[in-house]
Amino acid sequence: MSDAARTETLGEFRRRSEDWIAANLPPRSAPPEDPVDLQRLLFDSGYAGIAFPEEYGGAGLTLEHQQVFYDLAHELGRQVPTGTALMVSVGMLGPTILDHGGHEAKSRFLPPLLRGDDLWIQLLSEPRGGSDMAGARTRLTRDGDSYVLSGSKMWSTGAHQSDYGLCLARTDWEAPKHRGLSMIAVPLAPATPGLVVQQTRSADGTMGDFCEEFFDDIILPSENLIGEENSGWAVAQTLLFHERNAVANVGYGYIGWDQSESSADAYEPRSLIGVARQRGVDGSALIRQLIADVFIEETVLPLTSARVMTGMTLGTHEGQWGSLLKLQESEAAIEKVRAALAACGAEGVIWEGDDIELDNPGTEWLLARGGTLSGGSSEMQRNIISERLLGLPREPSVERGLAFNEVLKRQEPSE
Amino acid sequence: MLGLPVQLGMTDEQEAFREAVRRFIQTEVPLTKVRDLYESPEGHERAWWQQAARLGWTSLFVDERYGGGSLSGGQVRDAVILAEEIGRGLAPGPFLPVNVVAAGVSEHGSEALKEQLLPALVSGEAIAVWAFAERAGRWTVDGSESALEDTGDGLLLTGAKHYVEAAGSATHALVTARWRGLPTQVIVDLDGTGVSVRRGRSIDMVRRFGVIGFENALVEPDHVVGGLGEAAEAIQRQVQIAVALQCAELVGIADRTLEFTLDYGRDRFAFGRSILSFQALKHRIADMAQWLEASKALAGALAEAVDESDPDAMRLLHVAKAYVGDKATRIVDDCVQITGGIGVTWEHDIHMYNRRAALLRALYGSPEEHKEGLYRLLEATVGAGR
Repeated sequence: MSDAARTETLGEFRRRSEDWIAANLPPRSAPPEDPVDLQRLLFDSGYAGIAFPEEYGGAGLTLEHQQVFYDLAHELGRQVPTGTALMVSVGMLGPTILDHGGHEAKSRFLPPLLRGDDLWIQLLSEPRGGSDMAGARTRLTRDGDSYVLSGSKMWSTGAHQSDYGLCLARTDWEAPKHRGLSMIAVPLAPATPGLVVQQTRSADGTMGDFCEEFFDDIILPSENLIGEENSGWAVAQTLLFHERNAVANVGYGYIGWDQSESSADAYEPRSLIGVARQRGVDGSALIRQLIADVFIEETVLPLTSARVMTGMTLGTHEGQWGSLLKLQESEAAIEKVRAALAACGAEGVIWEGDDIELDNPGTEWLLARGGTLSGGSSEMQRNIISERLLGLPREPSVERGLAFNEVLKRQEPSE
Repeated sequence: MLGLPVQLGMTDEQEAFREAVRRFIQTEVPLTKVRDLYESPEGHERAWWQQAARLGWTSLFVDERYGGGSLSGGQVRDAVILAEEIGRGLAPGPFLPVNVVAAGVSEHGSEALKEQLLPALVSGEAIAVWAFAERAGRWTVDGSESALEDTGDGLLLTGAKHYVEAAGSATHALVTARWRGLPTQVIVDLDGTGVSVRRGRSIDMVRRFGVIGFENALVEPDHVVGGLGEAAEAIQRQVQIAVALQCAELVGIADRTLEFTLDYGRDRFAFGRSILSFQALKHRIADMAQWLEASKALAGALAEAVDESDPDAMRLLHVAKAYVGDKATRIVDDCVQITGGIGVTWEHDIHMYNRRAALLRALYGSPEEHKEGLYRLLEATVGAGR
């Protein structure tokens, strides 16, 4: 921790931030600013990466200072940089590079990342399966001072609009699967030779944020390695930890509870009451209970998240609590769409006119499972909660101690 | 993660209180004692209740002038500490009714009534209960058929109050009734003429209930709590206190049940492994851990809202009872399944937790009733039909 953290109390920081926020951040009622412009404004005034060291472009303070800042912005009704791209970049990739990168890598990558000039994403999952991330088959081979990358990644959010991806690839095929992985920064600029980025079409027919990337012998300098060779799994674990926190709006990804998002939502409880009334089904006890459930979950979520934040500050909540919040949030989201389908009936899935895509509960339903699958499926979160928070015994592994090559051989069909 | 209390960051004094309450319950009324009390008519021993009273079980809502005193100034928050421990240990005693009445009388009672009743409640000599619901089992004064009438002989009360906790142990009741159709509360001495008590039991091991009937029972003028016809707000506040304590008790029950179930499951082996290494169980347990943490957050937020007289407290109350009432009973139920066959025997303690949870789920409104209440509050804020 830098000197600034020791010298500036939360109270002092609060006073100075309050003035700055009031004078500089646009009100929520104004048209939304480009998040990247807002991020640059924060960076240029010393309020980006509040908990990052000064030498890497941060403010050299703590996560508590960060919380104070964003809570203030929320209280004062000001816009802060929001959106997936910055959340991933600043809330997840930045902290991972900070935790594992060497001094050179941190000096080079972090300042432009914190300023929003370089957008970063993760390149972890592969087409063969997302949950078993350590089973990565993308190949990274050392060649003198460089590495050569070949293989493919999938489910990477916003790769087509990003500058760098942090890629998990296999450097040692003779080691057990968790011990032969490395993490390397890959420039995603379209001109990178050997790189193809394709957007994935979502179930609702639109081009979604998800992409698939193909690497055909891309040459990367060895300075791009984050963490030691063959210690990529530890880096990936850290990245997933920050991801769950960011999704749950705690830790480095904390930007205050964004209530404007839920109140603008067409499926929030009051809108559903309006729809149920219009359709004359608001006398149904079942529908009333479903709508009440939506409101209940919306009330419970921020309270649980606030409790975990308090616990992290007090030290009562250590470790993988983001998993618990992520599970809660994503499962509740499914129930919300379910309630919307119930309240809207045919109205939710049938419409007049020739539009082929419409924002309605039916469309929402097609994508609802995205939340319980991306960022680690609910099943993976349940494993983490039970094994790491509650200390329950792990499932026996059939791969333990085996060279990854051997694991692959055993997976081949026997005929 | 289990064992974390509803309130994080308690003061040293609050922590010490929690420790003392836990020790007192473990030594004076352990679960073996709760089993012994199962067949007793009152479900607790009077001398024990006075002992508990000395430890602060009756004093948290009462001013120091009458022998009371709170730890932090947040009365509900302090009482939540007790409620949670009572849930963990399934302690007996009329904790909830006595404290709700103490709060009501402290806030709205006449000076004479406070002097007469509060010190005796605090010491445990007197036990006052809240006679609120009626035959329909609805937790509201709307539709109450109990009536107070001004007559030449004074103020007379007629009606029947059902589901009254600790009715058979009580010396006094705070009765919710109507005077000229308006909500009113009075303290009635249960030894008086025109008062009858029919004892009843509940699914809980040690919590007894009963019906109290009033037939032209005379009410002393200074026993009207808060003015004739003016009790609506006081009643709402008493409901808030009751539900806040209930939610904390449910959290204590669920937390403790999950704790001993995991201790038991860890050492159970089947198919060559600990049964808790199976994902089929681990994933259920992870869900329970999530429900429990959210329940703790809600119970804490509700206690704070009631202490601070938050205008949104009613909405939060519906949310909290609907969520905690449902999840805590589900946790205990799932734990029975994980415990296996022994979980549905008398020998294993888990049925005692299941009993208390099932009782609290229904008392002061079930999750279903609170969801309906919540819907009505929300509905009132949505503009008239388009």
